[in-house]
Amino acid sequence: MDDLKDIAPELSKLKKENPFKVPEHYFDDFSARLQMKLEAGKMIVPAKQNRFIYYLKPALGLAASFALIFMLVYWPLKTFTPNQTANNNTDTEISEDEGYLSIVEKMDENSFFALLYEPTNAVEFSEEDLVAYINTNITDYDIYQGTEF
Amino acid sequence: MDNDDLEIIAGLKRENQKDLAFNSLVNKYKERLYWHIRKIVLNHEDADDVLQNTFVKVWRSIDKFREESSLYTWLYRIATNESLTFINASKRRNLMPLNETSDFMVKNLTSDPYFEGDQLQLKLQQAIIRLPEKQRIVFNMKYFDEMKYEDMSQILDTSVGALKASYHHAAKKIEDFLKNSD
Repeated sequence: MDDLKDIAPELSKLKKENPFKVPEHYFDDFSARLQMKLEAGKMIVPAKQNRFIYYLKPALGLAASFALIFMLVYWPLKTFTPNQTANNNTDTEISEDEGYLSIVEKMDENSFFALLYEPTNAVEFSEEDLVAYINTNITDYDIYQGTEF
Repeated sequence: MDNDDLEIIAGLKRENQKDLAFNSLVNKYKERLYWHIRKIVLNHEDADDVLQNTFVKVWRSIDKFREESSLYTWLYRIATNESLTFINASKRRNLMPLNETSDFMVKNLTSDPYFEGDQLQLKLQQAIIRLPEKQRIVFNMKYFDEMKYEDMSQILDTSVGALKASYHHAAKKIEDFLKNSD
């Protein structure tokens, strides 16, 4: 199968010469240059990381990012948005109205009309009492001031 | 595995002999690995970089060598992988599609001051460059290095049958290129 004369007669006629060359003394100097490269490599070998930290690092980074987003965006929005404040006020008003409504709703019809026509407890006083009150509490100057247009 | 390799491996496992054994390994294999790498990357400067990277990788991963394969095939495998990684990285750097190799490689070859082939040799290299990556490596190892299929099988982790087929197809394609190009 690999008889070159049969499968590639032109190729088999070519001389197997090496067309590649190397600089003079290349192989003599190679070991010294390699040694320098190895020494340089030893100096910049990074310290080995703890494998546990190495695998946990991405997850920790992700968790820290979420925490930061929560701190910077979600929490301030939740605490300081105007809508939320309006809602709080509305909630209070509704609760006061609900209080009055609940009193009215609990009242039957008879009690409601009885309350509506109930005589007031206003103190009735005579004309003499009124003159005596004015004489005691209001001066002539106050009366003059009040009647002047 | 020959006795030299066994001594090198034993030395690499002893902390007080490791540097000396590694130096022996480099001296024994640097030329063979260089020429293997050079035929894949074509340019001398690139081959030098890849050869250094290969030995750095060998130094760092010597503890992983299990002696299931010979030292020689293990080194060739690392060198081959480093060469292919280097070519793909170069193509990415030059914004070239990974399946487009030939123009980039021809440019790499002709710009190299250490390529001294004549027109016929340049034509042969151009034909080899146009082969698919695996066929190119198989052809170089068989045609130029005259490596045994069994050794190639260990280095490339491919069956002997598949390697023979690859070499056959590669030789046919090169023959066609040599006949049909000016």
